[in-house]
Amino acid sequence: MTSYGAQGGTGGGGFIPGGSQNSPSGATREYGNETLRPVTIKQVLDAEQKPDSEFSLDGSRITQITLIGQVRNISTQTTNVTYKLDDGTGTLEVKQWIDSDAPSPLDGGDTSKPKIVDNAYVRVWGKIKDFNNRRHVGAHVIRPIADYNEISYHLLEATVVHLYFTRGPPDAAAGKGGQGAVAYGGQQQIGYGNQGMGAFEPLPNGTSAAARKVYEVLKNSPQSNEGLHMQDIAGRGRMDMAEVGKGSDELLALGKIYTTVDDLTWAILDT
Amino acid sequence: MQEVTPRVTAPYLEGFAHKTVRILGKVIQLRGEQATIDAGGQINIHLNRDAHLTPNHAVEIIGKVQSDLSVRVLTSTDFGANIDFAAAEAVVDATHRYHEIFYPKED
Repeated sequence: MTSYGAQGGTGGGGFIPGGSQNSPSGATREYGNETLRPVTIKQVLDAEQKPDSEFSLDGSRITQITLIGQVRNISTQTTNVTYKLDDGTGTLEVKQWIDSDAPSPLDGGDTSKPKIVDNAYVRVWGKIKDFNNRRHVGAHVIRPIADYNEISYHLLEATVVHLYFTRGPPDAAAGKGGQGAVAYGGQQQIGYGNQGMGAFEPLPNGTSAAARKVYEVLKNSPQSNEGLHMQDIAGRGRMDMAEVGKGSDELLALGKIYTTVDDLTWAILDT
Repeated sequence: MQEVTPRVTAPYLEGFAHKTVRILGKVIQLRGEQATIDAGGQINIHLNRDAHLTPNHAVEIIGKVQSDLSVRVLTSTDFGANIDFAAAEAVVDATHRYHEIFYPKED
């Protein structure tokens, strides 16, 4: 059982992890970029679909998502249950495959799992899917919300993460010990954060996440005075080459790094 | 039911006249078919048959904003007595400040 199943506690629901592992081409890379992003339904509907059928939001690849919504309709089929969710930003169908070995959450036979009813608020963890151009979410886990404050919490968290990807980390928060950064490092596994945001102080507000990451790798990796090659930065930072290219362009323009032995090798410009 | 129901508080009502909105407020007073809730200011609401409001509880209302800035309830959900209204107000602020992830803004 993988960690998804463990997290979900759906008992035997092993099919989803299988789904992502069965694609041999993308498996390794996807694993390194596995994230869990809190989103609004509007963001799911607006997410851009890449040619490789992955989705991206605010220029960042998304894999797992979590959202909240109010159940507007429940439709039970033989193989799955489809919930229509509404979170005020849009409506979306969420499908959960029925695990024939486990009691359905709808019949309430299993008292350890709360029942999902019309108009209840629920939290969903899953992946965005496109089937015949109908976008929906394949859910690993759906659970009713017990404390309604979770709705406010989720919407604020989705906003913070959206701003993080569109505007970069909040520099003002660095002085407060970078708690935000640590939280992201843990949840999103994008490798930010353990050093706190103070490390990024030399970069101005509005610097993109990619540029910050390149800067961080350059600053914290052992290297000669020739700096690091693009490939090396991509490897150490577990980034896309395109992302490294974008980030380094930005840093060059800011005068924070300079090219050394060739156009694709950079070092930090100490001031 | 409208597909998109932006979260608002009393000060935003004017900008959403004749639109369907979502309001999280505290029930102040019940007067038969009408009620008053507090959400960043007092709002008069017209109840429907299914609405069961409890005084001093938080309630989430989806409703249509009338010309006089009262709100006609379509659905309501009781949110209980332990709602952090500061957080709810922050959500409304974020909804309009960063509307790109919450609702399409019409010109």
